[in-house]
Amino acid sequence: MKLKTENAGRMYFRGSGNKNYFYAVKAADFSLEEGCITVITGSSGSGKTTFINMLSGLLAPSEGRVLVDERDMYSLTDKERSLLRNRSFGIIPQGQTGLQCLTVSENVLLPAVMYGRADEKKHQAKELLEKTGIAELWNIYSNELSGGELRRMSVARALINDPAVIIADEPTGDLDGEATSLVMELLSERAKNGASVLIVTHDSEVLPYADRVFSMEKGVLKKI
Amino acid sequence: MRFSLGMAFRNIRRRPARAVFMCMIVVFLSFALLTGGYLLISLQNGLEGYRARLGADIVVVPSSAQGHGTVDEILLQGITGNYYIPSAGLNKLESIEGIEEKTEQFYLTSAKASCCSARVQMIGFDPKTDFTVMPWISGSVDGNIGDGDILIGADIAYPADGYLRFYGDSYRVAGQLDRTGTGLDNAVFTNRSTIRKMADSAKVTLEREALKGIDPENDASCVLIRVKDGYDISAVADDINIHVAGVRATASGDLIASVSGGFRGASAAIGVVVSGILVIAVMIMAMVFVLMMNERKKEFAVLRVAGASRRILVLTMAAETAIVSIVGAVLGVLVSLLLTSPISEGISSQLSLPCMLSDTVTVILLSVCALAAPLAVSEAAALISALRIVGNETGMLLKEDA
Repeated sequence: MKLKTENAGRMYFRGSGNKNYFYAVKAADFSLEEGCITVITGSSGSGKTTFINMLSGLLAPSEGRVLVDERDMYSLTDKERSLLRNRSFGIIPQGQTGLQCLTVSENVLLPAVMYGRADEKKHQAKELLEKTGIAELWNIYSNELSGGELRRMSVARALINDPAVIIADEPTGDLDGEATSLVMELLSERAKNGASVLIVTHDSEVLPYADRVFSMEKGVLKKI
Repeated sequence: MRFSLGMAFRNIRRRPARAVFMCMIVVFLSFALLTGGYLLISLQNGLEGYRARLGADIVVVPSSAQGHGTVDEILLQGITGNYYIPSAGLNKLESIEGIEEKTEQFYLTSAKASCCSARVQMIGFDPKTDFTVMPWISGSVDGNIGDGDILIGADIAYPADGYLRFYGDSYRVAGQLDRTGTGLDNAVFTNRSTIRKMADSAKVTLEREALKGIDPENDASCVLIRVKDGYDISAVADDINIHVAGVRATASGDLIASVSGGFRGASAAIGVVVSGILVIAVMIMAMVFVLMMNERKKEFAVLRVAGASRRILVLTMAAETAIVSIVGAVLGVLVSLLLTSPISEGISSQLSLPCMLSDTVTVILLSVCALAAPLAVSEAAALISALRIVGNETGMLLKEDA
């Protein structure tokens, strides 16, 4: 699956009125390569999260386009885009994203359950939890987990549908060195199997896994 | 839909306090709707029944009846009394112009008898001239009321042998009347000859002061009059008051107007209370949903990230609200059905208004409304809130949370 942006930018307004605005992302031309881990670094507020949200189909660019296999992602209907996200994208958002009404296993299986594929994915969910080191938490509710455990659960959930594109926002943010290695090994394995992996991070431990590194400063994306 | 239902059940199970709070609002709403509606319709039924039964244009009672045991008190409150118009007064009524037909009733108050824990009003009427009681009771009994037979109000219990004792004599219960919601539910009806017998027995058995000097054969407690077409009812009543000493004639329209006024007042008060409850409940519900949705923005964002469409999110919210609302509405209706009848009768009694309980079909229809309306209100509140959130870009929701 080819994912790229053409002149994609996102403008935000501050306060009321149309005069006070700024660009979080400025005219970015970017292409995600299959089988590679691409890392974007940059300081807080540089526009990294806005950029990957645009790529994930979660935030429409105010200018330019996001193309999936040469089709404008934001020309798709909500249903089509949601299904695309479910089937082909594995997204690891920033922060803690466990649903408190679900156990760890239910959280991991959530994307599969949503479109009726829970049974065929149970075994894979167990494998993913083993690989992320939280298999023993299978039946535990997510509000009982630590920050690191929630992060690993979020990684497992993003991978459950074998996505062609993996987009991760600070995937190792709450993790210690050992857990960071576990998660990065898992993402590397997916990249080796052909997935396109995009990681936004401050964590220097991630950089050795990167095939390509970009930086973002004040909304401008540059290849390093 | 299966996913939405599953998520809805899980959310309710994991957040019971939130669900119970929502449920209680719905219980409150459906209870208020059913109880208020039931009460209003029961009062309306009672008023209609009262209007139909009174039947007469003018009610004549002795002046001595003023202050206690008046006709409206007997009809509405079951306050009983012994008062009588002497035969001389009754005869003078013959000379009043404009009277189409008239019928006499003889009232007698029982002592604590075998039938009742309290005193009952016994009403003797003349089936030959009657035009107020027979049309009403014909639905409950067929044929004539024979000598020694009695008809009893809906609230009077009677033994299996079908006989009740008054003043030492037994009388056959020929039928039990439909509920009226008035004091008539606690009254006994019989013909003039039977009540004369009762009065004679009462004189002997109880040596009652009130009955001394009364001639049950010729005296009456009350005369109900229907006025000829073309005559002014108030004028005829005034004519009676001027020309017949010792009596008070009241146009029955005044009685109905008084009851109608009371009914309007009570209806307005109930309407205001029910409307107030509705407005408060809707406001609370809307506020709860707004707060709840803000709290759940992150949850919605996570579901969107995992691939949920806007439709799935709205369905999930709708399903969760429907489950809580249906449980709440059913509970509210059940509680209301258990309490409505005593509440209606209590309010009716306090307000001295006739109250006739609604039939099964009306109750079912009201119950359906009391189930559907809170469900619709809560679903509307939930969907408006949900649509407002799913209308936002998920990236913005994630940004707010970050």
